Amino acid sequence: MQRGPILRVFVAARLAVLAAAVIQGHPAMGADAAAGKAKSEACAACHGPDGNSTNPLIPSLAGQTPLYIYYQLVQFREQRRVNELMSPFAAKLTDADMKDIAAYYSGQKAAEPALPADDPRYEAGKAVVAGNHCGSCHLPTLTGQQQIPRIAGLQYDYLVKQLRGFKTGERPDIDGSMASAAQPLSDKDITDVSLYLAGLR
Amino acid sequence: MLTFTSRWCVVCLTPAAAALALAGAMAQQPVPTAPAAAPAVPPTWAQGRKPEQESLNLAPHPPGITALAPEEIPLDRIKLPEGFRIAVWASGLPNARSMTFGRNGTLFVGTRFVGSVYAVVDKGTAREVKTLLKGLHRPNGLAFKNGALYVAEVSRILRYDSIESRLDSPPEPVVVFDALPKDEAHGWKFMTLGPDGWLYFQIGSPGNILIPPVTHAQIARVDPERGVLETVVSGVRNSVGMDFHPVTRELWFTNNGRDWMGEDVPNDTLHRVTHKGMNFGFPFCHQGDLLDDEFGKGRSCQEFDAPALKLGPHVAPLGMRFYTGRQFPAEYRNNIFIAEHGSWNRTRKQGFNVSRVVLDGDGRPVKYEPFATGFLQAETFWGRPVDVQVAPDGALLVSDDVAGAIYRISYGK
Repeated sequence: MQRGPILRVFVAARLAVLAAAVIQGHPAMGADAAAGKAKSEACAACHGPDGNSTNPLIPSLAGQTPLYIYYQLVQFREQRRVNELMSPFAAKLTDADMKDIAAYYSGQKAAEPALPADDPRYEAGKAVVAGNHCGSCHLPTLTGQQQIPRIAGLQYDYLVKQLRGFKTGERPDIDGSMASAAQPLSDKDITDVSLYLAGLR
Repeated sequence: MLTFTSRWCVVCLTPAAAALALAGAMAQQPVPTAPAAAPAVPPTWAQGRKPEQESLNLAPHPPGITALAPEEIPLDRIKLPEGFRIAVWASGLPNARSMTFGRNGTLFVGTRFVGSVYAVVDKGTAREVKTLLKGLHRPNGLAFKNGALYVAEVSRILRYDSIESRLDSPPEPVVVFDALPKDEAHGWKFMTLGPDGWLYFQIGSPGNILIPPVTHAQIARVDPERGVLETVVSGVRNSVGMDFHPVTRELWFTNNGRDWMGEDVPNDTLHRVTHKGMNFGFPFCHQGDLLDDEFGKGRSCQEFDAPALKLGPHVAPLGMRFYTGRQFPAEYRNNIFIAEHGSWNRTRKQGFNVSRVVLDGDGRPVKYEPFATGFLQAETFWGRPVDVQVAPDGALLVSDDVAGAIYRISYGK
């Protein structure tokens, strides 16, 4: 069943409230979003100037939780998450730079995703979310909290790659939760759930 | 991560399999014989959460993975008893957790979330912090014996020989033991060297509240010379701090109680081990006198050994040490200091202190009081104590995995 406009508005409103609460609630957020915008020029080439990426393998950052962006930048800088594109950029950033950049992108509005039209995998993906307790950490809205990322509306290819990576251990995670959570997923589960998530706002 | 190495594990059940078996038994139905894949279980921290508790928006606090600059650390907020003072002893140690001293005075510091082990060298007026080891799998447990640093990862114990003369080029490790369970949940270790030369550590429950495999929810020990593993005591949900009484040589340890049973229950606890084979009740009985609301049915707390002291609900007691120094006033001698990491499963935060336990001549706790407070300010914490360690000069060191620092609490002058 497709979601109607009312539900979509409700979800968007709830998301905005949650985002505000998260930003105000964390000590990291003595951060300066305006400074973050200036510092994010190098990021824009791949992630989009407003954090909405058009590259299927590069994640959108708009509306992402600030603590997730900050933690991942730290992980890239410390070589605990390695990516040949990201690592050189992160290597140059201070903690304060990272917090500013995180504050900027988390405050940007996520673009409307291209919804799948009657794709039968949509319902299957929804069932994967329910059956694997994704909402326990990512929240029922799948918009994330604190260092747990928003996964709603991320790119399909990026999600598939990350989930496969969590399952094999290629994508490290800070506390091991995703490595554990990805183990029961079949590759069909991974593609189904990625499709579902990519269509969520 | 739901796999086990079975060198010593005779009855190995994955948590998922255990949960499945339990669910099957409770429903009076046969366990499905060939599931396509192990069923997914909620993340550890959410196990046992009741539907009505979801709206509380409680979840574990984000781990500390960076370090504050020394001038950013608000130590003026810390309150101590009269005559004591606190200072930053070392900074720039992201996720600083368990501490152990080398024979020549090097302080080794493990981590849970960043994979590093630090070596702190005291240069008199300042400390030099070296990142000694990198890329390890939750190297939270450390011990020092015969010139070697022992590091406990989730499933392995490693040995780095003659470490204090090789701080800038540590040797390749010798694998002392590699057959511990690989569960991430409560899989990181606290480790300490026993007076018998064995390495003591916990194997935590692989979930918040469940019937653990017989290999889990215990304090275990390994003879590092022979690679032999034994269970010391069982029924222990997750201990992240232990020490041996300096006079009686009995093992004492802290334990973290289950979540989602209530704001004020169960208490986290302090335990005294008077003999091998004690069972402290998890998952059936908590805090010595409170049956679990699910697994306690048909059981009695009389079946189990009781803790020495209740420490308060959800306070997360981690590192503990007996105070064996001579710098503090005489009444502190052989007291226990406990680093309380602080609560998450409680709407009003509790813990976030270093506390003090005084024992009487028979080893019974007679006083439990806060010693260093102020990490928590109006429901917001800026730091979290993880471990305490008595320095050679009798000062008390405290590690903080949010500020990424080591503090020194001293007395007098």
